[in-house]
Amino acid sequence: MTSATVSPSVAALAGQFGAAILRDRVSCGDTIVWVAPDRAHDILAWLRDDPGQDFNFLTDITAVEYRDGELPLEVVYQLRSLGRRADLRLKVELDKARPLEVESVCDLWAGANWLEREVFDMFGIAFRNHPDLRRILMWETYAEGYPLRKDFPLRGHFSRSEQTRQALAANPEAHYSLEELSIASSYHELSVEMRERLARGERGEVA
Amino acid sequence: MGLTLPDGGPQVAEVSGESPNWVTARLSDLVNWSRTRSLWPMPFGTACCAIEFMATAASRYDISRFGMERQGYTPRQADVLICAGRLPFKLAPVIRRVWDQMPQPKWSISMGACASSGGIFDNYAMVQGIDTIIPVDVYVPGCPPRPEGLLYAIFLLQKKIQGESLMDQSLRIERSMGPDGLFRAPAVIDEVSEPFGNSVHQTRSS
Amino acid sequence: MLALVVITAVAMLGLSHGLGLLLGTRRKTAIKQLPYESGMPVLGDARERFSVKFYLVAMLFILFDIETVFMVPWAVAFQQMVADRLFLLVEMLVFIFILAIGYLYVWKRGAFQWD
Repeated sequence: MTSATVSPSVAALAGQFGAAILRDRVSCGDTIVWVAPDRAHDILAWLRDDPGQDFNFLTDITAVEYRDGELPLEVVYQLRSLGRRADLRLKVELDKARPLEVESVCDLWAGANWLEREVFDMFGIAFRNHPDLRRILMWETYAEGYPLRKDFPLRGHFSRSEQTRQALAANPEAHYSLEELSIASSYHELSVEMRERLARGERGEVA
Repeated sequence: MGLTLPDGGPQVAEVSGESPNWVTARLSDLVNWSRTRSLWPMPFGTACCAIEFMATAASRYDISRFGMERQGYTPRQADVLICAGRLPFKLAPVIRRVWDQMPQPKWSISMGACASSGGIFDNYAMVQGIDTIIPVDVYVPGCPPRPEGLLYAIFLLQKKIQGESLMDQSLRIERSMGPDGLFRAPAVIDEVSEPFGNSVHQTRSS
Repeated sequence: MLALVVITAVAMLGLSHGLGLLLGTRRKTAIKQLPYESGMPVLGDARERFSVKFYLVAMLFILFDIETVFMVPWAVAFQQMVADRLFLLVEMLVFIFILAIGYLYVWKRGAFQWD
């Protein structure tokens, strides 16, 4: 049953973060909270770690650009607490006049990796401290822009023949190394010590 | 008529030095008969049309009774490339390479509206018809086409193959990409990709 | 009779293969010669280095499998012989014991550890 009442998380957030919580709304039974962009990472970390909140599942990260050009871009985080069976939607507004940047939450939820890559690919919003920020839906050398922005034409900027030429010339695996590909598939077979070495970025010599 | 390619198609010098006679005609008949009765498909299924292809291959509509017994997902032993489903630009080099790696004789069927013309997806991400990338022999309209439609396309392809002559070398040339990295002339690609029908009303900031 | 079968088989193979070689089209292009990697450009060499543990496992299997193979006819002979049964048993036990020492050595050396 959907209810029109605000989730108790809003009051808890306001109590914890005060002015960083800008406003909230209930829409179709879902609670939406707008937060300040510079505190977004801390707020999400608290929502995940606080025992009363326990939002351990990141359902989705997406972005919205409204047709009214004066409205800012919004990055939307959809959270779920599996234990409490509660949902929460967090929105971060980004001013279009400034560089579109927000802190990455990959360190909080590992699933944010691809979700943030998709937002970057479609909207051009950069995520600070993302381990691997590159395009995911379009090919990596896609040069036409960010497709889901409102100023991006439905059929793209380039002519069809140019799009075809660029698509045929693109190599989706060009920026992978053989090591990355073969290691990625057998990562779980590596020893812990080797995984740590790889994470530190050391390339040891094969004895 | 409108069935010839605007850019004239691949340019071929001569057909064959030998004149067709009774022997070559009978040999052609034999070869074409064996080719049409054993067209092994490579289903390049990307989306919904692939489901209809699976339905056609299953027991009710059974393409195996028409010789398409062995479907492989490798181009090496395939005769027909059946592109079933929409093709994103990201997948374009893949289908081109798969087509290039099919040995002659090879044909292709463009199954469904998306493979034939881009279908309902007239946008930045979808190829507006795979004939801008690979040569197509038969187009199947439908979204998705019914299995009977795909079977009819297979029959049309069989008729087309039966009309081929062994002596005609132009049929078996490898139509590879041009030096500009395109299969068709840019003007042709742009012309066939022009929006039509209801698509002309869908502009959305373009 | 057998010769006829063999000749027929070879002739059929030769005919189908030979006719294919003779009459078949040959249109080699650069891309066609490349290995098929699901439509992707080729990455890496097909000849990769294998981990040596596969070799180890194969070697150990051969050794202990041959030991087992020797045990089977021994079991048949043991069943058929009525006299000297103790001697036969002790002989096989010595055989197994020698190989068991080797088994223990291999175990302690860690050859059974996959990771």
